[in-house]
Amino acid sequence: MKIVDRHDEAPGVRTMKLEFQEQADHELFKKTFRTGMFGLYGIYGEGESTFCVASPETRTDYIECTFRQSGRVTSALANNDVGDLITFRGPYGNRFPIEDFYGKNLLFVSGGIALPPTRSVIWSCLDQREKFGRVTIVYGARSVADLVYKHELDEWQKRDDVELVLTVDPGGESPDWKDKVGFVPTVLEEAAPSPDNCIAVICGPPIMIKFTLISLKKLGFDENNVYTTLENRMKCGVGKCGRCNVGSVYVCKEGPVFTAAEVARMPAADL
Amino acid sequence: MTRILFSDKLDNCIARWRAAGLTVFGPVKTDTLSSYAAIEHASDFDFESVLPDRSIKDLFFPQTEPMLRYTIKKRAIDTEDFAPPNDKRIIFGARPCDASGLAIDDSLFGWDYKDEYWIQRRNESVIVSIACTKADDFCLCSSLNLAPDSSTGSDVLLRPLENNKGWVVEELTDRGHEAFLAIAELLQDGSDPIAPIAAVPEKFDLDTCVAWLQNHDNFESKFWKEISMRCIGCGSCTYLCPTCHCFDIQDEGDTYSGIRRKNWDSCSFALFTMHTSGHNPRATQSARWRQRIMHKFNYFPGKFNVNSCSGCGRCSRQCPVDMGITETLQKISTLQP
Repeated sequence: MKIVDRHDEAPGVRTMKLEFQEQADHELFKKTFRTGMFGLYGIYGEGESTFCVASPETRTDYIECTFRQSGRVTSALANNDVGDLITFRGPYGNRFPIEDFYGKNLLFVSGGIALPPTRSVIWSCLDQREKFGRVTIVYGARSVADLVYKHELDEWQKRDDVELVLTVDPGGESPDWKDKVGFVPTVLEEAAPSPDNCIAVICGPPIMIKFTLISLKKLGFDENNVYTTLENRMKCGVGKCGRCNVGSVYVCKEGPVFTAAEVARMPAADL
Repeated sequence: MTRILFSDKLDNCIARWRAAGLTVFGPVKTDTLSSYAAIEHASDFDFESVLPDRSIKDLFFPQTEPMLRYTIKKRAIDTEDFAPPNDKRIIFGARPCDASGLAIDDSLFGWDYKDEYWIQRRNESVIVSIACTKADDFCLCSSLNLAPDSSTGSDVLLRPLENNKGWVVEELTDRGHEAFLAIAELLQDGSDPIAPIAAVPEKFDLDTCVAWLQNHDNFESKFWKEISMRCIGCGSCTYLCPTCHCFDIQDEGDTYSGIRRKNWDSCSFALFTMHTSGHNPRATQSARWRQRIMHKFNYFPGKFNVNSCSGCGRCSRQCPVDMGITETLQKISTLQP
């Protein structure tokens, strides 16, 4: 796929916009992609890395991906510029069943570099805003600099049909920071969104998911109305290579999207 | 009366098969670990050992396998797939545990996305197993609902006659039948006595073990730490296992050209599951050993209705610190469910 745009979201975090080179590949993608699915992005000679498709299912002329540069493949990806080619395998996995969310209030809870998968769902819903009730987004990062999609956060903040709650971890605030300071689960509990007729979509590092699930339970959310996506290490993406398993679940095939009820059935120590 | 392949005809059989375009493989002794390898004469076989050190997996899912070649040009990437090999093969003298191992992994490689390398090799190979007349202390097929003369995964099962005179031939599949048509006239009818199959005492009660594994409360039992304390995470058990199938995908080459390969990987390695963030779902050796046992006897059967272990015992036989599935399941079978 050809890189048609790239920009940095935060220190070491980059977004790339990709366009298909082959019409047939693009048609297949348009037909199969649903929000929540992931892909394997690669550079020959370096390998492949797994991340979500960060763009929504309502915008399939291109693929956007956002990743932190930390290993061999992600560093190599980041070395590529507009006009360069990278590989993409996918979309793989299951999806957020957003048709089931029609008519319901939506709560998105996300932390750090986990906003990209959440953002795909957010835009998939905002692009058909009339089908949903209230939309609340709680997003936090370690520091102000680590918040990703800052321009979109501004956009959501300005919309009056979206309630955005932003927070940074204690110590991560800048002098002019006007939003919350505190960990995501704490801030979520303070914001206290009503669980009535509400679907929660949460995504974040394992530790954030763990405590956010506890907070949502306290707030009265039914674990069948809470969705998350597990971002395990993967190589094949097609249920063979064995490393994404959590208990008997192949995250690449049966996931990456699971309800909190499904996650609760998995061995917690293996997450 | 049964159909018999006498040992002195084996050389002729090999010649026939080779003339028919089949490559003949079988258990072979080597300077290092013995394995299943291509042979030319009956004298190349090693039927004396209990089983080869390396499993039959090598022939179907090699340690490293090229998948595609890439060439990077200015503003273009050329790739060329390595087609799965389509040479016709006969594997003569497979052990029933190895053949069963292939049948077990058929379910994984044929599930959902079809692994064309595995499937092609399976389709082009005839598995001729020989029932075991010898076993050692590590063999555990009988504990896994299998036996030294199990026919699972075999196209032909041979039962040894007494005094190494030959084998009684049992054709099990069309593929096996076809391969033996080529040597039909070398077979003879006879009623020679069949050698008794090896005695493999049952080492544990599998149902008891599975019940313990399926009890969620035992997932964080201190048993896992105790049993795996001496595991050094070398991965030998997974590499020698006929059913362990986890792999990695790596590129070998430079920015301009190279090969993408599928390589064996192992759940014993810390890096296997390590996230980019540094978080590792299976951060300790005990969690990794638990995964291996759970996967084989709880998760895999849950998904594919068959245990991912055929009881060859290689994991225990070759473990540098004398661990293995036998010891673990033996101990589990004595624990309270």
